[in-house]
Formats: sequence, C-alpha cells, structure tokens
Amino acid sequence: MSWRPTALNLSLVTLVGWALFLGVLTGRAELMIAAVPLVVVLTAGRRAKAPTASWQISRQLSADRLIEGERVTVTVTFQGREPLTLVELFQPLPPQVWTARGRHHAFFTVGPGELVRWTFEIACAGRQRLRLADLHVRLWEPLGLASAETRHHEALSEVAVYPHVTPFPRPPRPLRTQTFVGNHVSPAQGEGLEPGDIRPFAPGDQIRHVNWRATLRLGVLHVTRHHQERNADVVLLLDTLADIGPAGASALDRAVRGAASLAAAYLARRDRVGLIEYGGILRQVRPGAGRTQWERLLDTLARASVVFTYVTRDLEMIPPRVLPPQALILALSPLLDGRFLKAARDLVARGFDVVLIAVSPVAAGRALVAGGPVTDLAARLWAIEHRDYLDALRREGLTVVDWDSIEPLEAALARWHRPRLRGVRA
Amino acid sequence: MTARLTALALMAMLAGLPLTVVPAPSLYLGALATLALVVGGAGALAASVPLATGGGALALIEYALALAVARPGPDLVTGTAVGLALVLLPASVHFASRTRGAALLPPVLRSQTRHWLALVALGALAAAVVAVGGEALAFALRGTALPVVVAASALGALTAAAGLIALVTSPHHD
Repeated sequence: MSWRPTALNLSLVTLVGWALFLGVLTGRAELMIAAVPLVVVLTAGRRAKAPTASWQISRQLSADRLIEGERVTVTVTFQGREPLTLVELFQPLPPQVWTARGRHHAFFTVGPGELVRWTFEIACAGRQRLRLADLHVRLWEPLGLASAETRHHEALSEVAVYPHVTPFPRPPRPLRTQTFVGNHVSPAQGEGLEPGDIRPFAPGDQIRHVNWRATLRLGVLHVTRHHQERNADVVLLLDTLADIGPAGASALDRAVRGAASLAAAYLARRDRVGLIEYGGILRQVRPGAGRTQWERLLDTLARASVVFTYVTRDLEMIPPRVLPPQALILALSPLLDGRFLKAARDLVARGFDVVLIAVSPVAAGRALVAGGPVTDLAARLWAIEHRDYLDALRREGLTVVDWDSIEPLEAALARWHRPRLRGVRA
Repeated sequence: MTARLTALALMAMLAGLPLTVVPAPSLYLGALATLALVVGGAGALAASVPLATGGGALALIEYALALAVARPGPDLVTGTAVGLALVLLPASVHFASRTRGAALLPPVLRSQTRHWLALVALGALAAAVVAVGGEALAFALRGTALPVVVAASALGALTAAAGLIALVTSPHHD
C-alpha cells in the first residue's frame, strides 16, 4: 500500500500560485501571508506516515438463502492494530440489489485495537446467486491530501436468492397418476376415498363398502368401489431460449416464479416434480419429492437464464428418468422462440400430457418503454395478436393456458377446466 | 451536509472580507464578490472541488484588487485569515464530496474537526513566523532598490510554486 495524492493537492497548489502571483503583482504582504497556511498544509500532507495494512476485516451475511424481496444483513467488523484517522469502506453491489437499510459505503475512525462494527441491509429484486464483490478499503490522510486503497476478499459470501412463491391450493390435475400414494384421484379403482363404480358383492368385500341404497333397490348386495389416490409425476419445462422485459420483471422471471409456485404446490401434494430448462443450456432435474428436491429445484430456477444458441435441442435425448412417460408436463414460455413450441408439439405427439402456460410477453415488453398513446395502442395490438396466436394453437389441439403474468397464475389456471378423472380409464 | 454548509460559510467570508478593506462600496468589487460567491457557493453546495477552488481564486483576485485600490496599511491578521479560509474551503468541500451518500460513524466528524483545528493553529503560527521573519528581512534590506526586492520576491514566489508542484508530484514514501 502506498499513498496517492488526491485532487485536493492540485486545488491547494492552484491557490498558492494565485496568492504568490497576486502578491508579487500588487506588492502586498497580505497575499504572501495568505499563501503560508496553504504551503504548510501541503507540506504537512506529505509527511503522513506510510500506511500499513495493520487491520483485520471480516464480513458476515445473516442468511445464505433468500426469497426475492427479502433482506439480508451484512455485518462488517474492522479492527485496527494502530490508530487510523479516516477509513473508508465501500461494498459494491451487483445489479438488482439495493440497500434497504443503512449505507453500503461508510467512513469511520479507528483507535488502536478498537473494533468497529458496520451493518447494513441489502435486498434483492430478482432471483440470482448473489456474490458480494470484494470490499474496498481506503485509508485517508487526515487532511484528505492522500489516500491508499486496497481490497479485502472474503470467501463464502454467496447468497442464493430464490424466486418468490405464491400459494397454490389447487394446481392443474394430471391425467395420469403413478403408483405411489398421493392426493390425486386415480382412474384405477381400489382403496380410496372417492366413490367409483357400483358392482355386486363378492366374497372378500368389506361390509363397510356395501351400498345399501343400491342393495335395497336391486335386491342383491352391492358394494361401492373407490378410486385410488395416487401421486403424479410433474415436469416443469421452462423456456429459456428468449426473454423480454426489465431485469427482475422479465417474462422469464415471471415464468420462473410461476414454475416455483407450481413446484411448491405439487411437492406439498406428495407428487414428484422435475424440471427441464430448455434453452442454450439444457439443465435437468430428475423428478423427485421432498424437501431436498424442493431446494434442488429452487437452486436450478435461481440460475435460469437465457443463453443464446442457434442449436435446437431435441427433447428425445432426455432420458425417461428425467421425462417419465406418464408425467404431466407444464411448459412455461413467452412463446418468443418457435423452437420451444416445436418441442412442445413433439411432446404432445409422443403422447405426453402437456399444458402450455403461455406467459404473455406484452406486459413485460411494455415495461421496457415509456408510456404513451402510441405505446398503449401497440401493446393492445400485440396482445390481440398474441391471443389470436394462442387460439390458433388451441385449434391445433394443444392445451394452452393464457397467463398475462400480472394476475396470479392460479387465476389463469382456474379459467382452464380439466374434466374429473373418474370417466377416464387407466 | 455539515461540511458543505461550513464551506458555504467560508466562501461567504472570503467573498465578503475584501469589501471591508475598501472605504467606499465599489461596483467592480461587488460584482467580483458576487461572482466569487456564486462560483464558490455552487462548488460548496455541489461538493465540487474545482468549483470551490475557482471561487477561492476569484475571492483572492477580489482581495488583491481591494488592496490595490484602497492601499491600506499592512494587515497581516486579515491575510492570515484569508489564507486559513482558503485552506479550509477546498478541504471541507473535498471531505463533503468523498463522504457524499456514505454513512459517517459519529467519531469521524469529531476527528476531522480536531485535525482541521490543529491545521488552523499550525497555519496561523507559520504565518506569524513568516510575518516576523519578513519584518526582520525588511529591516535588514532597508535601503535596497525596489526593483531588486520585486525581482527577488518574484523569483522566490516562482521557486515556492515550483517546489510545491515538485513536492506534490514526487514519488511517495511507502
């Protein structure tokens, strides 16, 4: 570390020059005398003791996982071994991160052995793997004539900012179920709560299953059968081929929030949930259940981003353990890139139960430009065109849910009605 | 904000002091004082060191003009006060500019004020020493031709300015 002169030196030298010049020009001693304190200060500033990095810094974060909009407290402790007149600490913040309380830039004075604690809170607007940059440390000569700067690197200063999750009491019902016990009414009949067919009594049937109304009417013992309650495999297919909108509120951000909400809802119902990020990088998470799977999904969703590519990924290459044959596929896309639609059509053609959740790019796109009558008109025309496009897809036989990404996803899905499974034979 | 208000007060003092030197109000000095106050005040409020320096330089020109017009007797106390104000003006503006938007933990202002006061005392002492030394030199050089004194002082001023520039731009002690 070494001292570097600041702009203040130039300022003082300029004033000294003016004072001496005017003093000589006018022959007045007052002007010469006025230059003396300036010269004294400049000389004193050059005699400052050489700076040494004789301190200890540590930076701690109050959490390593956050939900969008939540806050994390950053605590920096600084302990100097020798007195430091003026210490400046600056914590650069990455995009979409702001200080919610306090400042990320501080000045303080440290006595010998004194411990200074500086805290501030930061909030994150969008999902990300938040890595705080190195802390900038600057020492100031007492008069501000020189400064010395260094950086402090702190390991393990990463925070995972997960997408915001909205409660989703009734997620879309899958057409097909799996073999494990769950909360979905299966077309297969057996043990369960949901009443199914009525058939004549057979040896081995339990008395509590006897349907007395049918027995009295028909004169022969009849029992009520029940639908089994089974779990389902759900695969979230996220389009990361293209995106539109401001950071933190883009179509992809909204789709990710929707995907996280759906994943939380299905996992709460003991279903297995997987994820495929369909974009420049094909990231996959095998379907699974439980808390670990939830964190795995959130980690993947937090990293989801557009990586440009000319390559069209083929979903046939995805192994069945990632894309189980009887899975419900919820495809979330702003439909800005035709390759995603082609992939969804291929899945439908292969017999998958695909629900395409079309995240409207209009609201996200509109947030990028200033409002005005022309913008409003363009947005309305775009919205009409988008709806027309979705209608065309429906006519093709695709199951499409139009989500304007402003209203809750649950409201958009509530408008879409899927028939009960009772009539469907396994 | 405290540093900026201090700088504004110093600028007002620097611009107003020369007006007390002249016996009668002068239009030119008034205009120059206003200009210095506007430039320096803007520098103080915007925490801009170049603007504050410009305001200080204008105030110095105004002071020199007032001394040249009024030709009062030597007043080294006022000269020292102007010099000290010229030190504190850019220093406070510079402090304001670097601490803008930052959290200032309580002892910082106390510590800075202590350093500035020490500096003022040192500057005043140095000015007094130079004034006494100047008197002694004037006594020793009594009878010397004026052109020689002017040439010597010009050379001294030039050497002082060059020395300062060399001092500031020289390699730093590590």
